[in-house]
Amino acid sequence: MEKKRLQKLVVPILLFAVLVIALPSVAVSEPAELTPDEMVLLSHLPDQQIGKEYPKGETINIGFLAALSGPDAGWGLPGLTGNNIWIDAVNKTGGLLVGGKRYPLKMFTFDDEANASKALQGARQLVLEHDVKFISAIGGDAAKATAPFLTKHKVIYASLVPTDCDPKRPYVVAGGDITPQCNMFNTLIAKMVLPSEKELGRPLRYALTTQDCIMSRQVGAWEIGAAIAMGFEVVYEKFFAVDTTDFAPIITAVMATKPDIISLCEAWPEYQTMMWEQLYLQGYKGVVVQNYADWETNLTKIPAEYAAAQKGIDSFPLMDDPWWGETSWQASFTRVWNDRYGPGAPKDVKRRMTGIDWDHMIWLMPWCIGAQIAGEEMPGKWPSNDAILAALRKLPSFPTILGPGHMSGKEMFGIDNMIEEPVPMCMFDLKAKDKRIVAHLNFEPWYENIKGIVIKEVEKRGQMYYQR
Amino acid sequence: MSSQLLIQTIANAIAASGMLALIAVGLTLAFGVMQMANLAHGHFFMAGAYTVYALYALGGWPFWWAVAAAVGVGAVIGLAVERGIFRPLQGDVVSGFIATAGLMFVFEVLVGEIWGWGYMRTVPSPYMRAYKFMGAAVAFQRVIVIPFAIVSIGGLMFFMRRFRLGRALRAVAQDPEAAALQGININRMTALAMAIAGAYAGLAGGLMSTIYAVTPSLGGHIILPALIAVVVGGMGSIGGATLAAIIFGFVVTFVTTLVDGVAAVMVSVSVMALVLAIRPQGLMGRVIA
Repeated sequence: MEKKRLQKLVVPILLFAVLVIALPSVAVSEPAELTPDEMVLLSHLPDQQIGKEYPKGETINIGFLAALSGPDAGWGLPGLTGNNIWIDAVNKTGGLLVGGKRYPLKMFTFDDEANASKALQGARQLVLEHDVKFISAIGGDAAKATAPFLTKHKVIYASLVPTDCDPKRPYVVAGGDITPQCNMFNTLIAKMVLPSEKELGRPLRYALTTQDCIMSRQVGAWEIGAAIAMGFEVVYEKFFAVDTTDFAPIITAVMATKPDIISLCEAWPEYQTMMWEQLYLQGYKGVVVQNYADWETNLTKIPAEYAAAQKGIDSFPLMDDPWWGETSWQASFTRVWNDRYGPGAPKDVKRRMTGIDWDHMIWLMPWCIGAQIAGEEMPGKWPSNDAILAALRKLPSFPTILGPGHMSGKEMFGIDNMIEEPVPMCMFDLKAKDKRIVAHLNFEPWYENIKGIVIKEVEKRGQMYYQR
Repeated sequence: MSSQLLIQTIANAIAASGMLALIAVGLTLAFGVMQMANLAHGHFFMAGAYTVYALYALGGWPFWWAVAAAVGVGAVIGLAVERGIFRPLQGDVVSGFIATAGLMFVFEVLVGEIWGWGYMRTVPSPYMRAYKFMGAAVAFQRVIVIPFAIVSIGGLMFFMRRFRLGRALRAVAQDPEAAALQGININRMTALAMAIAGAYAGLAGGLMSTIYAVTPSLGGHIILPALIAVVVGGMGSIGGATLAAIIFGFVVTFVTTLVDGVAAVMVSVSVMALVLAIRPQGLMGRVIA
């Protein structure tokens, strides 16, 4: 009996003692500590107040709706790393500070395999099941398929291509990744590296081929418009089926027109590798330009010397390009990425960092900036996407990964839903065996001088927003 | 069309025909013997490609050893599928069709889970060069498919005509009941046909792993043109499948070069419809009374 009484006394005391010891440590346990590089990443936010306590808001869900498998996966899958880095950095501070509350962010993914009907299925799942407020995406056919549903639910769809912007799609935003501006600038850079028409005694010949999808048709029209404005003679402008497996006849046909420049335009990452292989094997000697080149994959099929000889012009710079400098935002991103996804890191992705790793995060960040600005007007509430877009449009300038940006696009796409920022242009570098930035260009003044010709050509191809 | 373009296009067409023929022949052989379409044949091809990826690209094996292993892997998969699916479903065409359609998904998911989804698996070219001939340039990787296609298809035809086992296979294809009454073991013959079909698919996948994008969905892309070649050639006819592969190799390549790739798809499907309208049994198929 004595023993039982003792037990009855001791057990609660012990339990109480455990609680007393454990509770404070739970209560004061901080979320994982921010690294200095993560602080640099968050420095783009206007009002994050790191280290200061605020009441917690509900979790805000973000969607990632893009090709995570298939030939287009190279433009989707790597983007998860950047979004995760951003979301985790924000969450380490307790959440995004909006209107006096900290809102943790959470991401849900859906693989649309670059298929429009799957994209719509994914949009429905992300919105109806997870109540996402913002979707990172690739765009094109998927943007068209999801627009009516997402417009109804007022969910932001951040496409990679501003050609998806349309006054009838008020929640489709784009421009973070500078397509089609970089495609248009390809014509300028190509012209710089080629002999002049005067030296050759004839106009320079421009050829373009890529898969037949909405994105390619739209971006291709803007690129061809710029090529014509720059004085090129367009000798080939054809699209191949999206399920093409043999690229030999396509490259034969393009080369038969004897072009000085071949543009692979929006060729999906898998396709451009096989097209590069055919260009090399069939002995093409001119310049090659494209929207995005993945050199780690391409160099398994062609020698680096060939890529260098053909210049390999594209955009989407690497964040570890020395051009950015050791103390830059980009260098911090590189270190965070390598610590997390690089060789031997906890989530080693067994590849080098690409130009797509940051490409989806580039719109997620301004959306967070817009939320903070809009939140100032409505304390204690998460602002609507209309308020976020309005806040961004009011800002004369806000930081982006590629430099200071602002909302634009009404003239080209009928609505100011595009971020306009400096466009980095790259070329293959033999020493680095990868792309390197060769120019950082301002699009608007250049476009101002050529827009008359460009718009005429885009209209000829039925790709202006009011024609679609 | 300049002479150089013509030569280059013919060279491209020959290579494309060889690649298609190598895939279609195994498919038509299996159909001829078992009277069932193996929709998972493209996935045997994919398994061959992944074998080369795993052994050559990741494991550092010499390319040709890896291709030889792909042949073995294809044969083993063929045998397993015969034992596990075709034998129990013998004579039930619809169930066999549905079972192999299901098998496609099983293979796809299995490979995706083992080697991952997402990016294509890059198999580096062992020979990063092209053969030059009268101004045309064809990748060595494509050129080597042609002798392999000629030797393996010719060898199979020779085997089917001159060897006792080959003749037994033909007998089963023509009339299984009569063949059984002659003492031919039907189960052994269907197993042999599936092993050969699997080996051919493994060989094709191994050889072409450097040409195609190696992904879990590769089999799905390959099976459609192969099925078209088999149907147009005449179900079960090795000669017919080869002839159809050559026709489609040339049609697709020439139309892609002269018009564009989208038109090539339309024209090739139109050719199929035309052939089947005129000869429903296919180019070299037999009319079954």
